[in-house]
Order: sequence, then structure tokens, then C-alpha cells
Amino acid sequence: MKKLKEVLRDWEAVIGLEVHTELTTLQTKMFCDCRLSHDDEPNTNVCPVCLGMPGALPVPNRKAIESIVMAGLATNCQIQPRSYFYRKHYFYPDMSKNYQTTQGPVAFCMYGHLDLEVSGQGALERPDNTVDKAKDGSYVAPIRILRIHMEEDAAKMVHVGGGEGRIGGASESLIDYNRCGTPLIELVTEPDLRTPEEARLFMEKLRQTFLTLGISDCSLENGSMRCDGNVSIRRRGTEQFGTKTEMKNINSFKSLHDALEYEICRQAEVLEEGGIVYQETRHWEPSKRRTVVMRVKETADDYRMYPDPDLAPFDLSQEFVEHCRERVPELPDAKRDRYVSTFGLKRADAAQLAGDPVVSRFFEEAAKAAPKAVATVANVMVNLVPATKNVLASQVASLASLLAQDAITFAQAREVLEVVDDTDLDPQKVVDERGMRQSTDTDALAVTVDEVLARCTDQVRQYQEGNKKVVGFLVGQCMKASRGTGNPKLFNQLLRERLEA
Amino acid sequence: MMASFEELSAVQIAAGVASGEFTATQVAQASLDAIADREQEVQAFLQVSEDLALQAAARTDELRAKGAKLGPLAGVPIAFKDNMHLVGTRTTCASRMLEDYESVFTATCVQRMLDAGATPMGKANMDEFAFGSSTETSAFHRTNNPWDTERVPGGSSGGSAAAVAAGEVALSLGSDTGGSIRQPAGFCGVVGMKPTYGAVSRYGVVAFGSSLDQVGPFGRSVADVALAMNALVAGGRDPLDSTSQEVAPNFLDGLEDSVEGMRVGIMPALMEHEALTPEMREGLVSARDALEAEGAQIVEVELPNMDSVIAAYYVIGPSEAFSNLARFDGVRYGYQEPGCATLAEQTALSRAHGFGSEAKRRQMLGAYLLASGVYDKYYYPAQQVRTLITQDYRNAFERCDAIMLPSSPTSAWRFGEVSDPTQMYASDLFTISSNIAGNGGVSVPIGLGSQSGLPIAAQLQGPAFEDRKLLRVARALERGIEAAGLFSPGTVAPDYAHRGGELA
Amino acid sequence: MALTQDDVRGIADYARIALTEEELEEMCAYMNEAIEMLQPIREYDLTGVEPTFHPIGDLSNVMAGDEANANGRSLDLDVALFNAAAKQDRTFRVPSILGDEGGDR
Repeated sequence: MKKLKEVLRDWEAVIGLEVHTELTTLQTKMFCDCRLSHDDEPNTNVCPVCLGMPGALPVPNRKAIESIVMAGLATNCQIQPRSYFYRKHYFYPDMSKNYQTTQGPVAFCMYGHLDLEVSGQGALERPDNTVDKAKDGSYVAPIRILRIHMEEDAAKMVHVGGGEGRIGGASESLIDYNRCGTPLIELVTEPDLRTPEEARLFMEKLRQTFLTLGISDCSLENGSMRCDGNVSIRRRGTEQFGTKTEMKNINSFKSLHDALEYEICRQAEVLEEGGIVYQETRHWEPSKRRTVVMRVKETADDYRMYPDPDLAPFDLSQEFVEHCRERVPELPDAKRDRYVSTFGLKRADAAQLAGDPVVSRFFEEAAKAAPKAVATVANVMVNLVPATKNVLASQVASLASLLAQDAITFAQAREVLEVVDDTDLDPQKVVDERGMRQSTDTDALAVTVDEVLARCTDQVRQYQEGNKKVVGFLVGQCMKASRGTGNPKLFNQLLRERLEA
Repeated sequence: MMASFEELSAVQIAAGVASGEFTATQVAQASLDAIADREQEVQAFLQVSEDLALQAAARTDELRAKGAKLGPLAGVPIAFKDNMHLVGTRTTCASRMLEDYESVFTATCVQRMLDAGATPMGKANMDEFAFGSSTETSAFHRTNNPWDTERVPGGSSGGSAAAVAAGEVALSLGSDTGGSIRQPAGFCGVVGMKPTYGAVSRYGVVAFGSSLDQVGPFGRSVADVALAMNALVAGGRDPLDSTSQEVAPNFLDGLEDSVEGMRVGIMPALMEHEALTPEMREGLVSARDALEAEGAQIVEVELPNMDSVIAAYYVIGPSEAFSNLARFDGVRYGYQEPGCATLAEQTALSRAHGFGSEAKRRQMLGAYLLASGVYDKYYYPAQQVRTLITQDYRNAFERCDAIMLPSSPTSAWRFGEVSDPTQMYASDLFTISSNIAGNGGVSVPIGLGSQSGLPIAAQLQGPAFEDRKLLRVARALERGIEAAGLFSPGTVAPDYAHRGGELA
Repeated sequence: MALTQDDVRGIADYARIALTEEELEEMCAYMNEAIEMLQPIREYDLTGVEPTFHPIGDLSNVMAGDEANANGRSLDLDVALFNAAAKQDRTFRVPSILGDEGGDR
């Protein structure tokens, strides 16, 4: 198969995403007051409603409705005051009533958009100029959102007797209704995505947005956020959409990218060989890095959708929507811009810190404790903190202050962070106790410098012959001689002064 | 004092238990005796809950002994239609599908009757899943009309109506989706009320048509029905039913007030409808006269879209029924076909063998009507027609306080006499419209047919959430009919009066 | 246009109701008769008429608080499983799904 880059020169990919997100931060299910399950034993959190017992009736969870409205506001959707819940029928025992309660043609949230900033290697996936590109190739892709609707999740099934818990070959299946009825929001994009990278970035941005709203833990791995990708390709310059395939089993951002990449290349190969792309559902196999057919869709499913007579219509008031709007916190894009303008951070670093609400809260706490070293705090967080287990914001602030005062080197900072990780030790004390604090006493350092220069006559000669890089070796010797207590910047400065003299 | 239990109204029983004239246990025992004596002939019950009844009665007696205030239904024996959950009983919906289904929770309507002090005597027979108008589709046995055991009690709440008419219990609850309380009440000579949709919680009542179903009481007098209505709504709106609404428990207030000056609408065309038997037409004339004699003013009104109600109903009802009954797949509960290799086979055979013919017919029709492409031709327009019918009622109620209609075109028919399903559907002609619009209706006995000698009834309908006023008009009709010597409130079917169930 | 037996067979498959050939024939006759009865619905001019899906007047926005087990309805495992014909440990059991068209959603 051809490489993606090559394929996308001739073909344009048209990608749409359907993203399901469980509202995991709520206390209860969508239509009953059963506690939301996390790691509970099977069928612990069940009641007549979510088990679909005859005679049970649904009542919608107000917080879930608030959450979806917040999601809609955060993704620039128009909130639809008037809508209904519908029943969507299909016989499958993971849905206890054999219908799913979902929304009809009108969802709570319609017609939104998210703008993606695509840069770096990822931007190279898109060869066309239908978007305005900056000199470095980066561009902004506006992605329209068709709708976000409210629905309920299905039960979990374990398939027994087949290979690897797969349904094929299973002799029986066991059903756990704990998850059945969990509030679920489904976002559907317009087919505006053009590269696997854009799809990946969209998911990432959506995840950051929902995490910031606090409506879900958004775990792709555990399935609280799930993504199906629809993709078709068409010859560059043509309008007509090709036949699309649907990608399932995507449980990481990388899988999303790679599955789409594979599928685009596969479709191109099929078409270039004169074949036909069938409308089908395909399963991504991460270990084999390929998609395989799950099911060919010959006819559209008929779900017998109709408005649920058990649930009163919605007619959301302006007050309700405003109440939700007030609860939408500062979103990642706005936060990133504020970090750039207020703290002078690099845009990429600012975006990284602003994306995850836990990270941004941590950053802001540390920045507050080290107001004179905010840029250093950001630097430590972007470069050092990701490798740690459990450091405190106060520790990062303290460390950043030391760095900003040139009291320790970046390498030492890494070392100190390792020591204080998972403890409540203060980095300042660790540095002092271990005598790591670097001397900035120039007279004392000069003694060491002179000693080293006297000893390393070969290197001094090399320097004078033009090999200026050798100064690095000499700084190392000075550091060694001072047992790491000297400031390498000062050593460097003093060495050069003497060598150039 | 020695009294025959069935001579007492629910109002009298509650008063007698409260005053200590007799104990709840004595009443429960009298009801059990009456059931033992009559059940072989009537077969109103699918289950008699003797233990639950005696426990509840003992609790009522204990409360009284402690000097606690008793509920308004203290010691009143009641039967529940078998589509209502009551923990400690099976809830079968008269279907093989749920033959062994143990209730895992108690329906709100049932709980409220118990909270009011009523004594639960058991579960009453019905058409399977409430699909029918004669109780003949019950998977277990037929129920005989206490007025003539060769005739049907009506349906689908036939067991609930028959148990009250035969003097086995003082009150019962039924559910009414297209007339399933009002028609059997008429057939059995008792009062049956379908309150306004939303007045009584549907939580715990196995659904047939969710936008049509409403629970209501049967009693041998309007006053008993009003007493039961108070108990049904006294707990406020049910937070477990999204469509339930707050209704004041004041149905006995002003019940006896004169209807002088109130207007009762009639539709001349309906009073002369071709489907009506001659004795039913005569009966309606005497009902009109009785209301006039009570001071009501008779006015003519119109419901222009009445001709479409059967069509609208048989679109909406089966569609919702298909959807509501989809959950019966034999997995979590219900009949499960043994020995199936695949889930699809198990589901299709469990449903094929668990459901009776009419339940399958309704679901098949519903599955067709909701299909894409078909939905727009039937379901959607049927709901638009519903808007027109609702508007018709609104217009009519600008001219009157209540409308009088037949409750069914005929009196009770013989078993097997109406066998064609669509012919059976037509018998709901006069009751269906208020299920579609949601307003309340009550069936009141107006005498015995001049030809058949069987009970005949008139139906009164009122505006939505004006059920108290509706009962006041119903009481006036009852009073007028009694004054005319046509029928007395409290009447038990003649063969069952004074027969067993002595209250010691 | 009347429903054919094939149409009715398709609906029965969808509705998961196994019908014998004889039942299919009866069902087909019934459904066509019933649909005939519904025709008045199709003879209306309903332009501009809003549908009434719920006969509840202006009632809307009915919601409940997000409080766990506020209504005390949570079922103990033995109660939840009590009415199930096939169960295993803590779960409901169904036979092989293979070949079941409803397998994907």
C-alpha cells in the first residue's frame, strides 16, 4: 500500500466523527437514581428502571441535561429549547428495554464548531491549499459540529467460549447492567475533517474541553469516551463524496489516527485497482495495524424512532441556559491565550498547560507561589513534571525559583525533583542539605577555573587553535572539581574570559 | 351486629373500622369468605393474596388499638388489576409471558391504596396485557359477568369490575387505555372512572399505550369511587412518573351538591348512533331525563372528529404497545424458550410462545406502523388528529361542564359472540376519544336493559383536571337514576347478594 | 397497497415474533384488515397542525435531582436476578449471539 502522504496528493479524505462520552462525574444514571458504576461487581447498581422491568418509568437527570447544555455552549452550539426524547428500537439484550432512549431530529445542541490549530509534522498531512496556511505550514481548520444529543449507555456483555472475549464463536454471553442507563452524550461532526491528524486533534480538543467542563473523565482506554470514524475518499478537485466506511474499536488517539490512515490508504488502493469500496463497519486491530470488516450494511437500519410517550417534552428556558452558561469555566483556548499574554509563555507550552484542567490548575497554583519565575514554572512543568509520579505545586514553585536564581542547573533540577517526588520535602532544603546550591561567588569560582586551566594544557591549546567547543569539557572539569557546587554558566563565562585574554 | 359484607360501601367500611364497629380483620375475613363462595362462578381473580390481606388488616387493627389515626380506606378490601405490581404477589398481566413473574416493587397507585389503609385481596383477571374488551384474551381463564355468567364482564379490566359487582371486594383498581375501566364497569353495573391522564401515577403499572393508559377505581357507588380517587392522588404528583401532575384530594368535597345550572352536553348524532342497541338508546334518554330532573341543563355539543377516533387510537395504541412490549425477550424475566442455540431464536420463540394471539397482533401492527416511511403516513398524522380531537373537546367544554355519551354501544355479550378483532375494536367507539385527548371519564349504571335485563351505563366526560366536577355530575346522575327507580348505588349482582361473607 | 406475506414475515423477523406459516397467513389478513380501518387518518388535510405526542398540556422539563438512590429503588442482586430464567454468578446469561443481525450498533 502507498504511504498516506502520497495517497493524499491525489485523493482527498473526507472524515466525520461520532463521539460518545459518558457523563462519569455525575452521581446517578440518566433516567433513574442508580449510582453510576465505576468498578462495581456486576449488577450492583440496578433498579427496575435500568433493568427495563415492566411498569418502570424514566425520569431524566437534571444534572445530565445541564451537562449537555454546557457541552453545547463550550462547542459553540445553538441550544435548542424545544426537543423530545425518542425511543430507538433494536432487539439486543445490552439495552434492557430493547429500545434506547435518545433524541430525535432535534438534539439539545445543534450546529456548533471547534477550530483546530494544526501545526508541525501533522500539518504536512494536508497538501492542499483550501485552508490558509502560515509560512511554517500550520493552519486553522474550522470543524462544524452537527449536533450533540443526550442518550443512555448500554449494558456490558462478556462473551464466553469464543477467542479473546470476542462475540464470534462465543457459546454464550453474560450481561451486567451496571452501565446500562449511564448518561451518554453523542457528538456528531459534519464531514469537515480532511486528515487523520485533524481527526486526532479534534478528539484531543474535545477531550480537553469536556475535561475542563468537568462532565466526564473522558477515558478512551476505559471507554468513557468512544469514537467512531467515518471516512471516504474522493479525487482531488471533485465534489462527489465516495462511499464511506465506519471505523470501530478506537481506544486511543493514536488508534484513531492510525486506523484512519490505514483506511484512507486501503480505500485508495481498492479504487486505484478499479475495485469498489463497500459501505461497511470495520474493526481496527491495533496489534496488526489494520481494519477488518465487521458488518456490511446492505440496508439502512430501521429503528422505529418515535417520541417517547413516557417523557415530557423539553422547553428549556433562557434562565436554564444562562445558569448552564455561568457554570462553563474558562476553556482551553482562552486559557492558552491568557497564559501567552499574561505570563509570556510560548504558545505551544501554554496550549499544553491549558489543555488539561488538572495540569492548568496545578500550573496556576505553582505560578502563584513563584510569581517571579512563572516562565520557569511552565518550563519545569512541560519538561520535567511529566516524568514524575506525584509532585506538589509548591515543590515545582520552589524548584522554579531556584532555577530562576541560577542556584541549580536544569540537570540538578531533574535530580532534585526525583528526590522530592512522592514526598512533601521542600526542594530548597534538599538543595541546601545536599550542598547542591551552586556558588555564584566569582572569586571562589575563579580559583577552580585557574586550577583546571593549569591542569588541562592540551585543551587550552586546542581552544587557542580554534576548537572553541572544548570549553564544554573544561566547564565539566570545573563542575567536577567543585563537586557540582559551581554555577556552570559562571564557569563558562570565567573560562572564556581567561582563554580569550 | 350482623351484616352482609357486600351491603357495605367502602365509605361505610372505613367508617366502621375507624369507629370500632368491626375490625379490619373481620372485614378481610368476610371478603375472603365472599371470594371463596363466589370465585368458582365468577373467576374474577388470578391470585387471592390471603396472607397479605390478613397482615394488612391486622396492621390496621393494631394502629387503631394504639389510637393512631386511620387512613381514609382503613380496612376496605380492594382488588388490583394484574398489571399492577404488588410485592408479595405475581404480576402476570394474564399472560404466559409473565406467568411466574414475582413483583420486585410495588406500583405507586397500589402503594397509595395501602397507605390509605386498604386491604389487598388479590390480583384481578384481565385481557392479556390489557389487549381486549372482554377479558377473553386472558391466558389463564375467563371471567364471568356476575349478572349472567354466560356473558363477558367486558375488558380489559374485567376481573376488577366483576369482583366489585359480585360483592367480593368493595373497591378495585383497573387501567383504561381505550375504555378498559368504563366499558367493564358498564357491563357489570358498577361505577368505573378513568381520571384525567397524569392525575394518577402509572409507575409500576405494566404499560400498554403509555400516552393513553390511566389507572382508576371501580366501586359500587360514585361516593366510593371519589373516596378511592382521594387516596390515589393524596400523595401529590409521583416523582417516579414524568407525566404525573399534582391533583388535590378533594373528590368528596361538594360531591352531593346540586348540579342546578350546570350544563351537560350531548351529541344528538351519537345518542342515535347506528351501533347503539335500542335499549341503550332508551337508557340514554332516561339518563338525560334524570340529569334534567336533578337540575342540569342539557345542551347540544359537537366533537366533529369523533369518526376518526378509532383510526387514531389503533395507530397510537399498537405503536406504543409494540414499543412497550419489546422488553419481553425472556432474558431478564418472563417466559424463556428452552434449548435455543442462538439468542435470536430464543427471543423469537420466547415471544411467539409467551404472548397470546392478540398481543402478537397488536405488536405486529405497531411494528409496521412505526417503520420508516410508514410512520409519516399513520403515526405522525394520528398525533396531529389527536390535536384536533383535543381542540374539539376544548371547544365543546366551552359550552358545557360535562358531556354524556354511552360507555359502550351494547350491554355485555356472550362469550365468543364477538370474535373478529377489528369488530371488537369498534366496541371502544365511545370511550377512546378521552384516552386520546387525556380528559377524564366515568361510567355510571343507569338501569337494566329493557330487552337484555343486563346493566346498561352512561358515560360522563369532563375537561382535563376537572375530575372533581365530573364526579359531582356523575353523582347527580346516580341520584337521578335512583330517584327514577332505575338502579340503586351499592347494587351487587342479584345472584351474589346476601350469599356468604357475613360480617360478624 | 396491501401487505404481502413476505412483508409480514419481514415485520415478524424485526419484531422477534416467530410465526408459523399458518399464523403468518392469518396475521397478514388481520393486518390488512386493521390497516383498512386506519384509513380515515390518511384522508385529513393536516397542513399546519402540530402533533400532540403527550396529552399533558403544557407540562415540560420534568427532571429529577442527581442524588444516588434517592428513591430507594436499587435492587439487591437476588431480587434483580430473581425472575431471570438463565443466570450465572452475578449476571444474566443469553445463548450465542452469533448470527444475530442485531449484533452491531
